[in-house]
Amino acid sequence: MPHLEIDGAVKRYGGKTVLHGIDLALGQGEFVSLLGPSGCGKTTLLRIVAGFERPDGGRVVLAGSDITALPAARRNMGMVFQAYSLFPNMTAEENVRFGLKVRRETPAAQQARAAELLALVGLAEHARKYPHQLSGGQQQRVALARALAIRPALLLLDEPLSALDAKVRVQLRDEIRRIQQETGVTTLFVTHDQEEALSISDRVVVMQEGRIAQAGTPAEIYGEPANIFVARFVGAAAELRGRVRDAEAGLVELCGRAVPAARARGLAAGSDVHVLLRPETVRLGPPGAAEALLEGVVASRVFFGALTSIRIEVDGGFSLAAAMPSAEAGAVAQGSRVSIWWDGEAPRVLAAG
Amino acid sequence: MRGVLGRLLPEAWLGLLGLYFLVPLLATGAFSLWEGGSRYGFAAYVALFHQPKLWQSLFLSVRLAVETILLGLIVLVPAVFWLNLRVPRLRPVFDFISVLPFVVPPIALVAGMTALYTGPDWLVGTPNYLVIPYVILALPYTYRALDLGMRVLDLRTMTEASQSLGAGWGTLIFRVVVPNLTTALLGAALLTIAIVMGEFTFANILLFNTFAVYINYVGQTSATQASALTLLSFLITWLAMLGVLVSGRGGRSVQIGGAR
Repeated sequence: MPHLEIDGAVKRYGGKTVLHGIDLALGQGEFVSLLGPSGCGKTTLLRIVAGFERPDGGRVVLAGSDITALPAARRNMGMVFQAYSLFPNMTAEENVRFGLKVRRETPAAQQARAAELLALVGLAEHARKYPHQLSGGQQQRVALARALAIRPALLLLDEPLSALDAKVRVQLRDEIRRIQQETGVTTLFVTHDQEEALSISDRVVVMQEGRIAQAGTPAEIYGEPANIFVARFVGAAAELRGRVRDAEAGLVELCGRAVPAARARGLAAGSDVHVLLRPETVRLGPPGAAEALLEGVVASRVFFGALTSIRIEVDGGFSLAAAMPSAEAGAVAQGSRVSIWWDGEAPRVLAAG
Repeated sequence: MRGVLGRLLPEAWLGLLGLYFLVPLLATGAFSLWEGGSRYGFAAYVALFHQPKLWQSLFLSVRLAVETILLGLIVLVPAVFWLNLRVPRLRPVFDFISVLPFVVPPIALVAGMTALYTGPDWLVGTPNYLVIPYVILALPYTYRALDLGMRVLDLRTMTEASQSLGAGWGTLIFRVVVPNLTTALLGAALLTIAIVMGEFTFANILLFNTFAVYINYVGQTSATQASALTLLSFLITWLAMLGVLVSGRGGRSVQIGGAR
């Protein structure tokens, strides 16, 4: 039995439907991310689970109990918000104790639990500080400790990292995952940042206009996007229009040339397709290389530290990007001609239409 | 030379402005000490402080100020809380209502109120009746102070955070909202004191002997005592304003971070 089950959740604002019957289940201890662009309904879904919004249809079941009509205060869910949400009049420790105080736990139990949680998030020495004396990252860590202190049945994270700067964001992201694994709390995480979702989750649910576009492990979402929306939203990929030339052999016609794309097998010969090529699957070599499938000219190079991104204008009128280790990219000069190839298993092929 | 003048100009203006405020006060103070001829002393103050009516009117005004603060906060705290949390689209309506006391002259309010209000004996025909117009008079200040305090607080996130931790409305209001609004509440209270202590029109027309009415009465009978009373009244208003300023300065840290 799933720990959390969202069954046909529908939400409308005025005449606009923002959630079209979402079905989603989370297993005990699972970390699931809701990923999607602004306005796709991910936060609305989280707020329905939290009890801040009532669905217009469907139900929410937690550990076998229907909690759809239960007020937020009685759901026993810890939540970390996008905005800094610590109570300004309370110290870090008092903030963490707040939920326990509401539950009328003894002062000794409150203190012990607050100390335990502040140590877990690495802020034991900041217990007596007020929120304004803490950095943004520290405030969010206290908010996480506060959410976990009540031993929540579910942890809800509503873009808790988006207000932080890049370095702190990565640190806290890793820390959230560590803490989640240590505590084993079932977690629903909302983000619009694909890197965050892919790096932290057991499962990613990509949402588009109030519907689930795809749900799967990060590797499935990245490697096997179910449709062109997911492919465009998750990771970078060159999106090439082609036609299936030989469905049995797995050959696709690009710019008048037959190139291998194993995933074209089973599609109707002659049908139009999108061929998606991740930059890291594209190989480059000197012109006339034996493996060459296409040729082109290096249009630009962007250095990203370990990797260099190289944009190539392919003969035949389209461009694609390749990512190479920077140590090897020195051989590929801007303006030079290169041959291009890839492994036949690498391209994702989606029926166009 | 021009540089020096340029630097001194702001100070010169400040000095002139200071004189504009201080000279009348000093003159009033000097006049309140005048005992006829070339004699100066505290006779006016002594005579004044020995009049029971002064203390009666002062205590009445203080009591009315306290009642006005309580009624104003009881009505406005939940209203502004609800406005910010649930119906922010009604803000223009609230803003409009809050400035009505500036638009409607007090004399029109009095005329309207005497025609409109009926009620129990403990209210109508007693000074308590004044609390109602005083709440209306203080509305622009009380509303603004509370609204600003709540806007800074990010009420929606605070509310949801406390609800997700299991808190009900009572806990939310008394443990989260009100402690974070001390500055706003204090500001609203002190501004109300300043208004009530100086209000004359309502009390005079409705024939209640408040502090401002008493100042006016004394002014007609003894000019030096009236000057002394005016200074006393200024002092009370200034203390209230100083309280607003000091609490506002402390309050910024409360609102941003909650140091105490």
